[in-house]
Amino acid sequence: MAEQPCVDLSKTEEILASYPHEEPSLIQVLQDVHRAYNYLPCDVLVRVAMVLDVPLAKVFSVSTFYKAFSLEPQGDTIIKVCTGTACHIRGAGQLVEELERKLGIGADETTEDLKFTVKTVNCVGACAMAPVMIVGEKYWGSAKPARMSKYLAEGGHDEN
Amino acid sequence: MRIESKDQFDALRTEAKKLEDSHKRKILVCCGTGCLATGAKEVAESFAKEIEERGLDVEVGLGVKSTGCHGFCERGPLVVFQPEGLLYTKVQAKRVPEIIEKTILGEELIPGLLYKNPADNERIPAYEEIPFYKNQVRVAMRNIGRIDPTDLMDAIAHDAYTGVAKALFEMTPDEVLDEVEVSGQRGRGGAGFYTARKWRSCKAAPGDRRFVLCNGDEGDPGAFKDRSIMEGDPHSVLEGMIIGACALGAHEGFIYVRDEYPLAVVNLQVAIVEARKLGLLGENIMGSGFDFDIQISRGGGAFVCGESSALMRSLAGKTGEPRAKYVHSTEKGLFDLPTVLNNVETWAGIGAIIHHGGAWFAAMGTKKSKGTKAFSLVGKVKNTGLIELPMGTTLRHIIFDIGGGVLKDRPFKAVQTGGPSGGCIPEDLLDLPVDYEKLTEAGSMMGSGGMIVMDDRTCMVDVARYFLGFLTEESCGKCTPCREGLKQMLAIYDALIEGRGREGDIEKIEALANGMQLGSLCELGKSAPNPVLSTLKYFRSEYEAHIRDRACPAGICRELTAFEIMDDCDGCHVCFKACPTEAIEGTIKELHVIHQDLCISCGACLDVCPTDSIRTLPKIELASREVV
Amino acid sequence: MPTLRVNGRKVTVEEDVYLLEACRAAGAEVPTLCNFDGLEPWGGCRLCVVDMSLAKWDDDWFKMVTACNHPVEEGMTVITDSERVLATRRVVLDLLLARCPETPLIQQLAREQGIEETSYELNPEPTDCILCGLCTRVCDHIGVSAIASTDRGWGREIAPPFNEPPPDCIGCLACAEICPTDHIKFTNSNIRRTIWGKEFEMLRDPKTGEAVITRAQAEHFAARSGVPKSYFETSDKSKRLELAKTFEKLQVVK
Repeated sequence: MAEQPCVDLSKTEEILASYPHEEPSLIQVLQDVHRAYNYLPCDVLVRVAMVLDVPLAKVFSVSTFYKAFSLEPQGDTIIKVCTGTACHIRGAGQLVEELERKLGIGADETTEDLKFTVKTVNCVGACAMAPVMIVGEKYWGSAKPARMSKYLAEGGHDEN
Repeated sequence: MRIESKDQFDALRTEAKKLEDSHKRKILVCCGTGCLATGAKEVAESFAKEIEERGLDVEVGLGVKSTGCHGFCERGPLVVFQPEGLLYTKVQAKRVPEIIEKTILGEELIPGLLYKNPADNERIPAYEEIPFYKNQVRVAMRNIGRIDPTDLMDAIAHDAYTGVAKALFEMTPDEVLDEVEVSGQRGRGGAGFYTARKWRSCKAAPGDRRFVLCNGDEGDPGAFKDRSIMEGDPHSVLEGMIIGACALGAHEGFIYVRDEYPLAVVNLQVAIVEARKLGLLGENIMGSGFDFDIQISRGGGAFVCGESSALMRSLAGKTGEPRAKYVHSTEKGLFDLPTVLNNVETWAGIGAIIHHGGAWFAAMGTKKSKGTKAFSLVGKVKNTGLIELPMGTTLRHIIFDIGGGVLKDRPFKAVQTGGPSGGCIPEDLLDLPVDYEKLTEAGSMMGSGGMIVMDDRTCMVDVARYFLGFLTEESCGKCTPCREGLKQMLAIYDALIEGRGREGDIEKIEALANGMQLGSLCELGKSAPNPVLSTLKYFRSEYEAHIRDRACPAGICRELTAFEIMDDCDGCHVCFKACPTEAIEGTIKELHVIHQDLCISCGACLDVCPTDSIRTLPKIELASREVV
Repeated sequence: MPTLRVNGRKVTVEEDVYLLEACRAAGAEVPTLCNFDGLEPWGGCRLCVVDMSLAKWDDDWFKMVTACNHPVEEGMTVITDSERVLATRRVVLDLLLARCPETPLIQQLAREQGIEETSYELNPEPTDCILCGLCTRVCDHIGVSAIASTDRGWGREIAPPFNEPPPDCIGCLACAEICPTDHIKFTNSNIRRTIWGKEFEMLRDPKTGEAVITRAQAEHFAARSGVPKSYFETSDKSKRLELAKTFEKLQVVK
């Protein structure tokens, strides 16, 4: 918590203003916060706890329980490799390995320049196109490790 | 304008249908997640642009619609032309001008874009003739692919909300309950509990405030029917919930959508806003005096939140920890108030049941499993996609007639149903009629309808391990047998696939499985042993091979498997390009060789070899060969 | 007042109690870990599982349920020592022993079920925490909620927010005292108390000088009850002596 940069809390206030100030709003608020800051900053969580009148320990509990949330700053582009059953048997593991070779990071890790985060995600529901990889907003179906450079290049990766 | 009476609704419906028919020619571009991934948006935009530029709208009366998922995702982007019912597959934006010239204006077919039947290589132009579509009976998915999900009038033209009108103006709440009971509909989320029974027990619970919930968490990997319905026909879900709320006297509803389905959230939200505007949702629905509104709640990324008590906790802003089931959620559910939670597909069917009558639904299916069911047929099958069929259809028909058989015509090994709570069904049970009871008897379950086809290049020990790995990540951690048991079970399986299995491991697995089935708090832990026990039941010899022979018969487990290129190799060099570690050496047209010290046994080479010249063998066999 | 059979013995109990009470009334030993009288049952450890059959079911149809939170029902049959109940209990303890191999309570409970060593892979970082949730539940009960569970599955842990000294903690030690394995550590002196990495100033009895309560706890109780803080600063012993003085005919023996 000590090492986090200062964040602009005005975005948080805007988000909080659009929900009832009570516990049931917590997860929706956290999702909007995560979208706005690309992670869940500590200061924001403290503020959310106060405004929604939820004990801070419970806010932290919820933040760490759900895998949609990261408490560390994430890369500008999130690369998601679907590890649903269909994708698994059609080679999702090989995609993750290739990403490790290309970017030097494994699942749930972020490149040092904060450009990319790799995540393995649960079934995205595009099973007929297995294996599926999502780079930012772009879905790549029937993904192949041999084409990883192309997927990454379109996602803004410079191989040099 | 708001609808204030049934007459007004009927008039609007007539008008919508007239508008729909006025388009002599319609172009339906599938824009489900699958097709979007291959460029459907650009295709739809290209059609719209061409039509506008050529002024075709005026002359021919064309309509271009972006529809929801047709289900045949592997052939996408898919485009259907009405009224002739022509299907083009793998359409790319750059071919749109040609399509307009030849097919729309010139009434000519483009053979290369037609669906090619893998069974006989014949091209089939008509959508209705393609085996994948011909054999389907679509109830829950009735409008998907026919309507623009963001266009309420389009939905109304296709009978959306007729069930609501009937329920509100022509039936009493009890009559609605009776009709659902006659239909015999069972929950489509996996448990298969009779819908009417659930509704009745909620209705009987005391209290003024109750909730109607939709479980859109679809966590089973390999299942995407709920996604397609939420994206492709969100009004069918809203309609079902309104009817349910009316029967139960509920005024508040929530749709819980998993975080991984952003398009579903968007389309549902658009649908809700449009429905409210027209007076089909919210206060005084259709002027009937009945109030009911729906909110969307996004999940946070937790499979366990598909479990009803965990889902309700999540809706309340808490961690998704299930609670004991002794207190029924129909009495004390969300915020400890009476609640009905049903699956997306269940709700989507309700509108049709009320519109056509319960008897119509009950006429389809088997004795105990009425109606139709959506399945996502995926994995090593030629025609992967989403289908809806009457209950009682056999697995063989689904996989071979509709699915077109196993990919690359490899031998069929098993079909996994029911997701992580299900099991694997082997070849000799392929004539099983699919219904709740039969699948459970075979050691699997219906689950949410995922059907994952597996070929001989699938290791059943690895499949069980995959599900254990998945569940270990998803366990909420509250109860000992699940939290600790999954971890320990996974450790045993990791040892098995890495060649460290020992005699007695199978017995250890069975004892732990029993403890988890009996001791776990919720179905996640209780059914976690299912894939384990089902693969042990039908494929025990594979386990024994891993333990006693340090071999993986399917050639999948990397620590146990080596690859070698045989003399049939014609030097096409394809494997060389596929190998991620550059372990293959060879010049074009010459026999290639795999350097074992660099090979990581990923199998990419074997998967691409066009002449089947690469085979697997146990690593120890290779090692002993070298010793000699 | 429902009557049920536990291990063949008939017992009649109060209307709204759980099976655990019925079992005890019948003299049946049912081990528990996450249960605590006075706190809502949680059903997490699964040690208290028993076989139960409802009156309306077939005689040989049983369901395994946790005794701590399953309500009693007229005509119910309960068996606390069937083969499968014992087998399940053994699996639970075997798993806990793998997780907490060095924890005396778990070793003892496991030994009672005939388990000397775990059959499973040992936890590479042995812990005393059995994740029974009692600490967080009592903290919620007091209305503080300073700590909670974090993460999920096998990585689940009890921790303060951000793994830093919890801002809401009042240093009451309820969590440490309720913990069945003494996992939660604290230090205590006349001047200072430390728990969860947080330091608390102790308030001392004005008469005796002994530490009674943390300032934070006194303030928390005062705020909740409307009773002045000074009341909480006085030790129970001093309060009793003061009260005794009001009984005219009593002589206070020091």
